[in-house]
Amino acid sequence: MLGLSSLWMTAGSMLFALVGALRLPRAAVLDSPSKRVRVSLPETLAAGTAFVPPGRSMAVFRDEDGVFAISTVCTHLGCIIKPTAEGFECPCHGSRFAADGSVTRGPAPQPLRWLKVSASGEQWIVDEAAVVPAGTKVNA
Amino acid sequence: MKSADASGSALGAFADNLRAAPRRIREGAFRGGAPHTDRTRSTFVFGNVFLHLHSVRVHRWSLRWWTTAGLGIASVAAFLITLVTGVLLMFYYKPYPDVAYASIKDIHFVVPTGRFMRNIHRWATNVMVVTVILHMARVFYTAAYRSPREFNWLIGLALLVTTLGLSFTGYLLPWDQLAYWAITIGANIAQSPREVTDALGVTDMFDPGGLQRLLLLGSDTVGPEALIRFYLLHVMILPLGLTMLLAVHFWRVRKDGGLARPSDADERLGPPAQTYPVFTEAPAKTYSLAAVVRGRTEAVNRGPENTLPSMPHLFYAELAVTMLTVAVCLALALVSDAPLREVANPLVPENPAKAPWYFLGLQELVSFSAFMGGIGIPAIVILGLALIPYLDREEVQTGDWWGGPGGWPLVRRSIAVGLGSVLALEAFAIRFGWLREWFPAIPQLVVTFVNPATILTLAYGAYSVWLVRRHASARAGALGLFTCFLCGFLVLTVIGTHFRGPNWVFYWSPADWPRH
Amino acid sequence: MQKNKLLLLASSFTTLLLLVIAAGQEHFGKEWRDIQGQGRGEEGPIPVQLRQIVNPALGTSDRCVSCHVAMAPGEESVAGSPVLHRHTPAAHDPADYGCTVCHGGQGLATEKTDAHGDVDFWPQPMLPPGMSQAGCGTCHAYVGIPGAGVLAASRGAFERHSCLACHRVDGRGGVQRRASTLRRRGTPQPASPGLDGPELSRVGTTGYDARWYEDHLAKRAGEAADQNATPWSTVFHPIGEADRAALHTYLATRVGAPNLIEAKATFLSTGCLGCHTVGGVGGEEGPDLTRVGDKDPGQVDFAHVPGSRSLAAWNLEHFRSPGAVAPGSQMPVLGLTEDQIRKLTFYVLSLRRRDLPGSYLPKDRLRVARFGDREFTTDGATIFGAFCSGCHGLDGLGRRSPGLPAFPSIANPDFLSRVSDDFVAATVRLGRPGRRMPGWSRIAGGLRPDEITAVVSYLRTRSGIAAPSDPRPKRWVQGDARAGERLFASTCSGCHGATGQGGEGPALNNRVLLDAATDTYLADTIGKGRRGTAMAGFLTSSPARRTLAAAEIESIVAFLRTWQENVK
Repeated sequence: MLGLSSLWMTAGSMLFALVGALRLPRAAVLDSPSKRVRVSLPETLAAGTAFVPPGRSMAVFRDEDGVFAISTVCTHLGCIIKPTAEGFECPCHGSRFAADGSVTRGPAPQPLRWLKVSASGEQWIVDEAAVVPAGTKVNA
Repeated sequence: MKSADASGSALGAFADNLRAAPRRIREGAFRGGAPHTDRTRSTFVFGNVFLHLHSVRVHRWSLRWWTTAGLGIASVAAFLITLVTGVLLMFYYKPYPDVAYASIKDIHFVVPTGRFMRNIHRWATNVMVVTVILHMARVFYTAAYRSPREFNWLIGLALLVTTLGLSFTGYLLPWDQLAYWAITIGANIAQSPREVTDALGVTDMFDPGGLQRLLLLGSDTVGPEALIRFYLLHVMILPLGLTMLLAVHFWRVRKDGGLARPSDADERLGPPAQTYPVFTEAPAKTYSLAAVVRGRTEAVNRGPENTLPSMPHLFYAELAVTMLTVAVCLALALVSDAPLREVANPLVPENPAKAPWYFLGLQELVSFSAFMGGIGIPAIVILGLALIPYLDREEVQTGDWWGGPGGWPLVRRSIAVGLGSVLALEAFAIRFGWLREWFPAIPQLVVTFVNPATILTLAYGAYSVWLVRRHASARAGALGLFTCFLCGFLVLTVIGTHFRGPNWVFYWSPADWPRH
Repeated sequence: MQKNKLLLLASSFTTLLLLVIAAGQEHFGKEWRDIQGQGRGEEGPIPVQLRQIVNPALGTSDRCVSCHVAMAPGEESVAGSPVLHRHTPAAHDPADYGCTVCHGGQGLATEKTDAHGDVDFWPQPMLPPGMSQAGCGTCHAYVGIPGAGVLAASRGAFERHSCLACHRVDGRGGVQRRASTLRRRGTPQPASPGLDGPELSRVGTTGYDARWYEDHLAKRAGEAADQNATPWSTVFHPIGEADRAALHTYLATRVGAPNLIEAKATFLSTGCLGCHTVGGVGGEEGPDLTRVGDKDPGQVDFAHVPGSRSLAAWNLEHFRSPGAVAPGSQMPVLGLTEDQIRKLTFYVLSLRRRDLPGSYLPKDRLRVARFGDREFTTDGATIFGAFCSGCHGLDGLGRRSPGLPAFPSIANPDFLSRVSDDFVAATVRLGRPGRRMPGWSRIAGGLRPDEITAVVSYLRTRSGIAAPSDPRPKRWVQGDARAGERLFASTCSGCHGATGQGGEGPALNNRVLLDAATDTYLADTIGKGRRGTAMAGFLTSSPARRTLAAAEIESIVAFLRTWQENVK
């Protein structure tokens, strides 16, 4: 009786310790920089031409309806896609996207994500973490 | 029709096999069933890879609390704790200067349970060092190193050195001021044979000190190269080595006939409360395969009455000690955080730069002479310890505490001699200084070989030679010498830890240190 | 076995208990959890979790926003306890730059005392409240800052000309409103139509239209025509050229860190650069101050500093009494007011550096490092204040400190009325070898020729004493040097030393002095003396000492000239 209770107590405490130890690999903070990007669009940016902020995986456009940003992370397996004249092209598995981000070819399961854009003075803030419905364009 | 029938029975068999699979897995994993009889208890032990290092039955003498005080198991438990927590810490630790420091800060502040894990890791290390030293003292004072266990004593010494090495290499990893300067000093101790080669003028041709330091640091300063080497030693080479040595150590414990016990242990224990019917038919015969083992198998012609099955008697004892060690480490980890100072700054030395406490005795010796304190005397001590079982070939009172001519009174007297001489020498050196203070032009070689550290060693040696002659017994000398060195270690460690302040000046209390 | 089982039960129960306590510590009772528990966002309570700002280029991961949540990117709307509030408007958004770049402190920490750096073993504690702008000095080296006097004068011009009526500067002014004429794209519609002149608080970094004055004049002319009383005609008036220059000076100092600029102006008018170097500019007598605000408090001797063990406390006490805080210091007691001491401490704390990636290097730092732009304005008053006033006093009357040779008065009217500009310039340029006066064109952190000229002309304009016109050549004395030697020994050596090495009076056997001084200057000084000093005129009879005839004075001058050949 005493032996069993002591053994169960040992097992219990070790199990609790294991649970505690398993919490450790789940990082509490991520070392990735802020998802909000400040973007200054060139004055001469033509409608339909992508502006890619340096070091970021997004394409920012300006047309007569306003400014919008499309994530250039492929919805298939996360490769960075290239803006082309017709839309976007993924180098990894051949997915193709139209200019509005909808899938035209290849294995990508979803259209490209449209990112939330907001005006900040003469600059724009694109939030990589916030997705908006396709077609949302923002004016100053 | 026939084929359908056959296929039906085949499918039925498939389903039966599927149903039986969990039971078969269980049976395969735990062969022999629940340990209820002596037979199944034996199977339980030798049928399990983790338990089969134990003998199947264990002598009642070995189970007495004060035979071993559980120190060996406690140090293994502490090692396992450091192993588990260490692996967990490796999830976040990054071995590169400054980045390493930031990652320790991360572990301290934001990693879930990180601070607690690091505290446990640090405290388990301390517990391990203490229990390893105490374990060695226990083996020595019960004269358990004697034949046929001489070689296991050597393995034990190697384990002690590896343990200290593990702890020392771990000290650099946080890359804070404490770590950086302790390692700088340690690396220069490795280089200290130059003190002798320089004095002899042969450093250009023969430079073992420089080679040691280069091997340790991989560069001429403590930098990224040194950090990755220490990391590799700490997480790979030394733990692997320790595990290997541990395996040999355990195996030898069993093959050398279990724990040492006095020849009259059976009589002293008295008749057992229960006898074991399984062996009553032929009490004069051996009960195990020990016949194939060379040397004495103490069970032959003796009868198994004074042994108990390891399962569960030994395992309760081992588990209890393990859990006690865990509890102690957790409690220490809860009340005291592992230290982390400012990030390493190669331009501003920590003052005082202190190594971990168990090296502060050495650091005290090093303050007299880097070579003798850091390499010469430790080498003499290790060599002396290694030779003990080969010089002491006596058999009287093996397995008894303080066993040997003189016994406890001799140990008591040796404690007085050991404490007295180290305190007197330290007091003299602190009060009056040493040769360099009196004769500034004195050659280094004289200081290297004539200093409080060497004089203390000589005094202890002389005392032990006197004991050997007086008792006409090597064991008496060994008892005296071991006790003296233990006292010396203790006093020097306390002085180094508590009474040395900035510039290694003597202070009665850290509260008297000049404030900066 | 019973004992072992009991031991196992007890120790495993203890283990479980300790683990539960540890888990409790991990999940409750953390400062940031309590603080975030009070936070409310747009959609109710905010999630309680660790937050941080990561800027890989600057190498920061600041967890400060685990408590100061509203400063985290995308969490501006969080409110609750004051700790959670957003940052006051600043040049750099903390969500982009992080916190520790400016404020110091330990960004990796998540507990207040650790994060603010109030612990042993953290080398960069937070800047004290009220001196936060000292953090700007980490990256910026504000250029063209005048001394306190010039700064006050230029601010006076700005206020005198009612610029604050339309322009807002450092939170003041800009109240006069009417029709919107200058609205920039992207700014919200003003609540009421107003003549909102551009905000000028940071105009020193952003720059402004060089033709602003002509534009203002044209607008005034245009509006005055169609309406009776417009702000343009009531508030704006033509400004003289000197005041326009003052306005220019003032606007150049509006860089968004007004308190730091005040502190720097004070630094530039207490003569610190006479002995100390900042960023490679200044004297070599005292320690280099370039990174003195970065000092690790753990390496500072607080033995003689009462109160808190902070760098600010050390500096405050050090400015009050340098020798008492740093025994053996040669720094004189400067006789500063508490306000000046506070400002100097503020500025000293701003002398910090950080390794910056190229894209983050501010223009001002680049201008100083690459193009040698001065951090101070190069007018004579500022240079005199920054380099000379430490020894010669802000009034130029010299200074006497116990244990140190007296520093001469250079504003003495007798001196200025007899000395030529060349003499003063040569002295500034070459110094007095052997004395504390350094040669300002010789030392590495010295002054440029135009700056030395500016100082000399400042001495003239300030005193109003013009340089004497001396028709005679530099060397005209024909006296008997042997007679002069006897006269010197009996009359002059008491103060100036037997070999002219100086004593109570200044040293005369000085190569630079003798090279630069004209015979007229020497003879006049001996003959007419210098008021306010122990040097009396030897031509006038006095019962206290012997009188010298003009010829005797010339002999002495001739004797002094003999040193020129021998003394290096």
